Amino acid sequence: MLEVEGVSAGYRGSDVVRDVSFHVDEGETVMIIGSNGAGKTTLFRAVCGLLPPSSGEVRFLGEDITGLPAQKVVRRGLAFVPAERHLFPQMTVEENLMLGAYPEKPDPDTLETVLELFPRLGERFRQLAGTMSGGEQQMLAVGRALMSQPRLLVLDEPTTGLAPIVARNAYAALERLREQGLTILVAEQQVPLALAVSDRGYVLENGAIGLAGTSAELASDPRVRSAYLGVV
Amino acid sequence: MTASILDGIVLGLQFGVLAAGLTLVYGLGGVLNLAYGQIAVVSGLVTLLTMEAGVPAVPAALIGLVAGGALGLIFDLTILQPVYRRHGEARVLLSLLLTLGAAFVIDGYLNWRYPLRGLNLRITGDPLVVFGVRMRMGSVVASGITIVVIGVLYWLFRYTRLGRAIRSVIQDEEGSRLVGIDPQLMMRLILVLSGVLAAIVAITRSMVAPVNVRAGFSLTVLGLIVTVVGGLGSIPGAFLAGLVLGIINSVASSYIGTFLSLIILLVAAAITIVIRPTGLLGVRE
Ligand SMILES: Nc1ncnc2c1ncn2[C@@H]1O[C@H](COP(=O)(O)OP(=O)(O)O)[C@@H](O)[C@H]1O
Ligand SMILES: [Mg+2]
Repeated sequence: MLEVEGVSAGYRGSDVVRDVSFHVDEGETVMIIGSNGAGKTTLFRAVCGLLPPSSGEVRFLGEDITGLPAQKVVRRGLAFVPAERHLFPQMTVEENLMLGAYPEKPDPDTLETVLELFPRLGERFRQLAGTMSGGEQQMLAVGRALMSQPRLLVLDEPTTGLAPIVARNAYAALERLREQGLTILVAEQQVPLALAVSDRGYVLENGAIGLAGTSAELASDPRVRSAYLGVV
Repeated sequence: MTASILDGIVLGLQFGVLAAGLTLVYGLGGVLNLAYGQIAVVSGLVTLLTMEAGVPAVPAALIGLVAGGALGLIFDLTILQPVYRRHGEARVLLSLLLTLGAAFVIDGYLNWRYPLRGLNLRITGDPLVVFGVRMRMGSVVASGITIVVIGVLYWLFRYTRLGRAIRSVIQDEEGSRLVGIDPQLMMRLILVLSGVLAAIVAITRSMVAPVNVRAGFSLTVLGLIVTVVGGLGSIPGAFLAGLVLGIINSVASSYIGTFLSLIILLVAAAITIVIRPTGLLGVRE
């Protein structure tokens, strides 16, 4: 569904991410793990059209989307939830969700699914997004992305700034989306959480893919265990 | 007192529309358009010349609105292009310089080609009594149009998908791109809208008093004062500040003197900014 081939990207002419290749197949949940500064956000920004890659190719649903601006990428079915969420703080939960469906009218069934997944959003329907807690904002960011009825949901460190229990709830929601058959790509530093919900993963180190494998393989790899799972 | 307050409200509504055009462009794209008043004046002049060519006032005024919108579009397609390639402070500063240049060019041309011309859409008719105050017909019609315009703006931004999309760009540009909105396209639409609003101000003001071809800069300055008091980027703020300053202006004019009214507006603006640096309803720092 998503094929990233030899992508390099960075800021002001110097590449942060170099020659990265990976792929996500339909129905899979794939994680990219890496410590702070490894280049996960840069890679995702290059994939979703917020940062044009300096070289390489991004294909989505068989079509070349390299360098396509983010506003066009989302209309093709790739929805990105950034770690900073980028909600519309002075708008209500309802308005944020409606904008998720832009330029279409919100689909009532999709809205119902989102409110079933995150009942809290229904309770806060008329509240301004900017006044909600971090966990609620994360739910809204995912909900807004789902309103575009994406084929692929891409999440950058969805647990950023969340208390451990809230982070676990966020992953429980991802698990439910995965069960519903949605294809998911997630970047994470909190590796144990991500490992539990994903089928496969890649380890990003200093802007390059170091390791790849199924979640089970990664979980038992000594390097992953010592670097990301705190096991000596 | 009632009379000056009523006058102030009439003026304040126009201030609000004037400031809305500036504040939207700033809020959306970080661009301050110092040629805004000149767009108003040119639209007024187009209306005047069209009327002189024998076209009745209403269609001529509509052509004036089209001219205002077209000028906004031309700005977007020409001098603002290099501005859009800058970000943050550099963008604001470059927009100030380039639009100031455009303002000088337009002013120079108008002064050379149409010196001493002014749009004057005097509307005749018996004065109307509102809240026990006699209002000139021109004021009544101008206020009516202005209120309709405000209503349309409110509907647009509050209830339409397009209006919501525009507000989303103001609140978080990256967020808006992630839901599929093209901020560049929204900016273009807003420049057209801003030009139309400038034209509406010129046309409605000329129903109360003539709008001279030299009025460009004072309209811009007035718009900026209202914008800053309301909070850069805030549409409700622009209208609230417009009303407050309109009332202050007309009460001060009748009790102290017209010659001091701009100074009093500036003082009111300065006090607001000292107390609330973001303006009354500011969304940006
Ligand atoms: N906007 C930016 N401008 C310049 N350098 C950046 C920018 N964003 C990130 N970087 C640099 O790129 C590297 C990778 O950052 P990032 O992609 O955010 O990693 P991660 O998401 O894995 O923590 C870091 O060294 C960071 O300093
Ligand atoms: Mg990151």
